[in-house]
Amino acid sequence: MLLKLNNIFKWVNSGGQRVFLLKDINLSVEEGEFISVMGPSGSGKSTLLNVIGMLDNFDEGEYSFLDEPVHTLKEKHRANLYKQYIGFVFQSYHLLDDLTVQENLEMPLLYKKVGSSERKSLVADTLDRFNIVGKKDLFPAQLSGGQQQLVGIARALISSPKLILADEPTGNLNSKQGEEIMELFKQLNSEGVTIIQVTHSEKNATYGSRIINLLDGRKI
Amino acid sequence: MYKNYLKIAWRSIKGDKLFTFIKVGGFAMGIAACLLIALFINDELSYDQQYKNKDRIYRVVLQGVMDGELRKSVHFQLPFADALQSDFPEIEKAGKINMSELFGAGKRGLRLAGESQNNFEDGFVFANQNILEILEISLEQGNTNEALLQPGNIVISKSKSDKYFPHGEALGKTIVLDNNTSKPYTITGVMPDFPKNSHLKFNFLLPIEDTNMSWTNQNYFTYVLVDENTDIPALEKKMFSIMENYVIPAQMARGRAPDFIEILKTIEYKLQPIGDIHLRSDLAMGDGLKHGDIRFVWLFGAIAGFVLLLACINFINLSTAKSANRAKEVGLRKTVGAFKSNLVAQFLTESVFFSIISFMLGLMLAWALLPAFNSIAAKSILFPWEVWWFVPLMVASALFIGILAGMYPAFYLSAFRPVSVLKGSLSVGSKSGKLRSGLVVFQFATSVILIIGTLIIYKQMDYIQHKELGYNKEQVVILDGANILGNKSESFKEQLLQLPQVQTVTISDYLPIDGAKRNGNTFKKTGEGIEDRGVPAQIWRVDYDYIKTLGIKVKEGRDFSREFASDSINSMIINDQMAHELGYDNPIGKHINNGMDWAIVGVVKDFHFKSLKEDIAPLSLVIANNDSGAISVKLKSGNIGESLASIEAIWNRNVPNQTFAYSFLDQKFSQMHEDVERMGKIFNSFAMFAILVACLGLFALSAFMVEQRKKEISIRLVLGAPFESIYKLLTLDFLKLILLAILIAIPIGWYMMNRWLEDFAYKINIGWEIFFVAGGIALIIAVVTISYQSIGAALTKPLKSLRTE
Ligand SMILES: Nc1ncnc2c1ncn2[C@@H]1O[C@H](COP(=O)(O)OP(=O)(O)O)[C@@H](O)[C@H]1O
Ligand SMILES: [Mg+2]
Repeated sequence: MLLKLNNIFKWVNSGGQRVFLLKDINLSVEEGEFISVMGPSGSGKSTLLNVIGMLDNFDEGEYSFLDEPVHTLKEKHRANLYKQYIGFVFQSYHLLDDLTVQENLEMPLLYKKVGSSERKSLVADTLDRFNIVGKKDLFPAQLSGGQQQLVGIARALISSPKLILADEPTGNLNSKQGEEIMELFKQLNSEGVTIIQVTHSEKNATYGSRIINLLDGRKI
Repeated sequence: MYKNYLKIAWRSIKGDKLFTFIKVGGFAMGIAACLLIALFINDELSYDQQYKNKDRIYRVVLQGVMDGELRKSVHFQLPFADALQSDFPEIEKAGKINMSELFGAGKRGLRLAGESQNNFEDGFVFANQNILEILEISLEQGNTNEALLQPGNIVISKSKSDKYFPHGEALGKTIVLDNNTSKPYTITGVMPDFPKNSHLKFNFLLPIEDTNMSWTNQNYFTYVLVDENTDIPALEKKMFSIMENYVIPAQMARGRAPDFIEILKTIEYKLQPIGDIHLRSDLAMGDGLKHGDIRFVWLFGAIAGFVLLLACINFINLSTAKSANRAKEVGLRKTVGAFKSNLVAQFLTESVFFSIISFMLGLMLAWALLPAFNSIAAKSILFPWEVWWFVPLMVASALFIGILAGMYPAFYLSAFRPVSVLKGSLSVGSKSGKLRSGLVVFQFATSVILIIGTLIIYKQMDYIQHKELGYNKEQVVILDGANILGNKSESFKEQLLQLPQVQTVTISDYLPIDGAKRNGNTFKKTGEGIEDRGVPAQIWRVDYDYIKTLGIKVKEGRDFSREFASDSINSMIINDQMAHELGYDNPIGKHINNGMDWAIVGVVKDFHFKSLKEDIAPLSLVIANNDSGAISVKLKSGNIGESLASIEAIWNRNVPNQTFAYSFLDQKFSQMHEDVERMGKIFNSFAMFAILVACLGLFALSAFMVEQRKKEISIRLVLGAPFESIYKLLTLDFLKLILLAILIAIPIGWYMMNRWLEDFAYKINIGWEIFFVAGGIALIIAVVTISYQSIGAALTKPLKSLRTE
């Protein structure tokens, strides 16, 4: 078992009223799964992903990640947990504009204090694996959207996370580029990486092994 | 439409209180500082501007090179003014003033005829009738045309008249000075008080009674009123005939050495416009008046300019910085049909709105701080609300700066193409990065220079206070107005010595502080011929306990003693400097002559009897029974209050009709350097202002930069960046700039403060530690300021700024 959510509630107070963003979510994810989260806009998909990624808090319920009770952990400990095991892929890529492709890839390793030679070989491997060796000295602005997202995924993977959280990774891409990304996810999944993606596309959802539907913060 | 703009401006205040606070508050502070300095400068420049004929009134100054040094003087002979008036038709009137205590100017005991209570008063001078006319003194009571013509006349100021004659009946009344009932004075005039901004301030004008028409004694300040359109340089040249026709013959008749006469031939007379006296008199003139300094006017003006410039730049910069975040708003407005002109109008309205608020706050702040500033600067400046141009000027400035500040963001932002803004591909931060870096460097360099200035001024003041003076200024009480004791002074002294708290007592007006008596003379070595030019030196009349009481060190020979009968006749003690200038290695037993023959019996170590701005000059001490106005009492350590009470009791027993007045020698010493201290305090307070404004600027800039990089920071955090790395990332960039600023500031500060220290004959060395401390302070201020932002940024939850995408 990779992670398990029990009766998760998240709400905000608005005008004296409690507005639920997540309502009684129960979910367990095994290692190696590929899950697609679907639902209309505003149904809480991103919120759920952020809770799983520990970027956001929840108000009630229990969350265990690799048997660690996340809800009882200190902020710092929690941050260490996600930094070690989780990679994020964003709809708008979130590459750093001032850094080259290579430097963008290298960044998470720097923060993990990976030694310089190991860093070099990891970056080289990754560039090779994603077929972007020729682009390593370009800046994000010089790449197409698909290529940028490719770098984003490569960056999420470089520190070999157990889990990849992808929030509409193909939302800004055309269908061909999207398809390539999905193929890549499928391949990564087959290599053992657990993936949870948010998507609006039925077609993309079929790449996954399981679909979770959300409506008004509730799993249906 | 404008209502809508203002509504948005108001919302942007509420939306970002801190930013608005810094923008408006910093600007207001800059305006307040600038305004205070402007008021100060305005006051300094207003000195002696009140005369109708101010362009025709001059003070005569003499200058010449002696021993390779430019010497100046404002003291002239008694007949000098009369000669000027009779020899030069363009000189309409020449007047003279004697401020020397030797003649009885300064402090006197005063009482009304028929009363017994003496009052101790200051501000007596001797002046001739012409002075009334040149200085345009028009009497409130009495006849201006003859008030000072007769011996025994006295003109008193309005405030003294009010004090002694509350019903305005001063004219014709008789007053007695220093108990001298044989020579009463009749009040022949009441003059208005001298304005605060006059270099001359007197309370009592006495006619000149000196009849020594010698051309070799110089005791008189000489003022002239010249005809309109007089060619001043030509007149100055012509005035040399005075030297040729009167001074040189008189000196030659006195048997002065030929090389001294040669020096006299190089001397020039200069006419100093009365309006220049306050700010452009140098110490060398030795007029003994408290002056301003034109260099400080320039310096403070420069600081004011800097502060205002910094504040304006910050204001403009913050307006632009914030506007980047509003690029989206601009894009949206454009897509819904706003014209460029609408947007320009909107931004201008906003910026003028803020500018006006800042000006109002700045005015209020300056107004609130003015009393404190007045007390630091020893001024009584009023806020010029009622001056007709003041409010319009403020409004115009507010509009001008508001429009200037709004211009850049207005045109910059309104030129954005909506598509690029909405797509979010706009990166505003990096483009103007160089400009912003330059700004940080400029602000901090200015601050560091000011910190260096502050530290050095502080160190020099501390140095002055703790300088080994060659005498001991502690525990010495000076009793004023003691000449009233007359021949009872010796018995008074004996009674004081009976007190257990009193160590020693000396009776002498000659003290090492400002305002004490001085007497200069020229001494020649006895037996040397006419070639000996002589040594100009002070000759001070003291008593047997003077050296002991002041703790002056006898270096060679001996102190005065009653055991030597000759001591009361022709013994003299000189200071080291005098021995040096006389050229004596072993001065004891040598004789020198100033018309009287003196035998040197002792040499004392040099002690400072002038401000530390000046070198120690030759000085001699002789025993003389004088009816001194000052008695100095050295107290044993103990309760000062009790000691004073005991002394007062003895005073009252001896002098029932005059109140006990005293001061402390150490306080008098401090007063001698009051001007330095005051300038220091003013400088320091404005430096604080400037530093504060610069800090706010830095704070805002760092806030802005963090804002710009929020997205980047979030991404880094999500990718596992630890706190320290984000903190370093944000702080290091700034620190590099601060270090650069420090490097730029050090040589400038060093140069500036060296110039300032040149004023002092005795001064500190500027050591490296000052620059370390100044740089350290700037660094700490910068790190604290920036850290507030960087720590905040490094601790943020990344989600916030990523979610909006
Ligand atoms: N911090 C918040 N405060 C208030 N409402 C929020 C907050 N975060 C998200 N929401 C609301 O919660 C709902 C779900 O948001 P989100 O998870 O982003 O939806 P989805 O990703 O499914 O489109 C939306 O209606 C959104 O407005
Ligand atoms: Mg979403």
